[in-house]
Amino acid sequence: MRSLIHFIIKNSFFFFFLLLEVLSFFLVVSNNSYQRSSFISASNGVTSSILSVVSDASDYFGLKSENEVLVQENAYLRSQLVESNLWSENSFKRYSDTVKRQFYTYKSARILSKSIQNRNNYLILDKGRIDGIELEMGVISSNGIVGIVNDVSENFCSVISVLHRHSAIDALITSNGYTGTIYWPGKDYTIGNLNNIPSHAKFNKGDTIVTSGNSTIFPPEIPIGYVVDFSLKDGQNFYDVDFKYSVDFNKIRHVYIIHNLLKEELLKIKEEQDED
Amino acid sequence: MKTKIILINIVRFVLLLLMQVFIFNKINLGGYLNPMVYPLFILLLPFEISGFALLIAAFFMGLSIDLFVGSIGLHAGATVVMAFFRPISLNVISSNREYESGISPGINDLGTFWFIKYTTLLVFVHHIYFFFMEAFTFANFWETIMRTFISSIFSIILILFIDIIFKPNISRR
Repeated sequence: MRSLIHFIIKNSFFFFFLLLEVLSFFLVVSNNSYQRSSFISASNGVTSSILSVVSDASDYFGLKSENEVLVQENAYLRSQLVESNLWSENSFKRYSDTVKRQFYTYKSARILSKSIQNRNNYLILDKGRIDGIELEMGVISSNGIVGIVNDVSENFCSVISVLHRHSAIDALITSNGYTGTIYWPGKDYTIGNLNNIPSHAKFNKGDTIVTSGNSTIFPPEIPIGYVVDFSLKDGQNFYDVDFKYSVDFNKIRHVYIIHNLLKEELLKIKEEQDED
Repeated sequence: MKTKIILINIVRFVLLLLMQVFIFNKINLGGYLNPMVYPLFILLLPFEISGFALLIAAFFMGLSIDLFVGSIGLHAGATVVMAFFRPISLNVISSNREYESGISPGINDLGTFWFIKYTTLLVFVHHIYFFFMEAFTFANFWETIMRTFISSIFSIILILFIDIIFKPNISRR
């Protein structure tokens, strides 16, 4: 026992190194799980408020292009006015046949910080619990999907970008209606991967990929991207589809957070279905 | 003298943190590049620093970056590994000047060539741990190696650049 203590004291530098290394490894692993927030979160108060100040300043540099996007979106929304809610009509047909009512609400938010260069990317938005943001809300920009809320603090929330190893979202090819799951293979932030499209499905390069609406997070028919390449390996029953994201993740500054008003109800009925 | 050194290091800590988070994290050519300049803080700590202080300083440097980026433990782990290899690499890269007290690891006291060797070795250690830990797999081995190399080259150049800019007193020998 004495010699053991002596050994540890003699090599204390190494053991202390090991201790810190194990600690940081533990932090990485415990922080990695998909929908769980951890005790030190990215949306913590101090760093977020500093990020907010810098974002205020850097927003000015992007005002011009941002305005263009907003103008385009305004025009688009204006053209949809007659049909009242943009995505609600379609989704409400899928799930219920009561009288028309609103299914989703949207809240705009500003991006305080984001990354695209890592294997797992996150965004921090300036909306939090006091704005009614909850875990697992979908986040889209005017061009397409962006991510899912994974952590909420009082004034801020953190979003798992679709550019994340664990990001998997149900998608649908509009030209033939086949559904699959999208992943991000990691190399290029503009290119994603769509799996589970059966080999007998017919589609072309340039076809649009949208959300399927099979989840409670995203409404159906939110754009995801466009097919750029697909291949069928020998003996495989499913296509390997590469697509280009419709969102330029390097440029986005404003996003919308989606609140599914009937989520609870939907989840409840899904649970009951599972029990049967 | 001692308090002065501590003060300089605290200022350096804050400056490098801010530079990293608000300037260099925004640089990402095609998503491949992720230059890191904050390892300069570990490189420039005085020779006399104790092992514990070195590791703790490294851990907090990394953790501070992590808090801004949202990747808790990733930068901290990489920086601690780098700090662990610092004494070893100081032995490996022997200088023709003994490490007498009062001199610090930097271009001024030990020369450009020595500092390039020192920086290259430790930054590469830091990056290789960082990128493999980030990928968390050996599946895309060559791609991760590629990312490590590209980012390392940029980080090393930037670190040398920053060290030269912020040390104008080259006349002291």
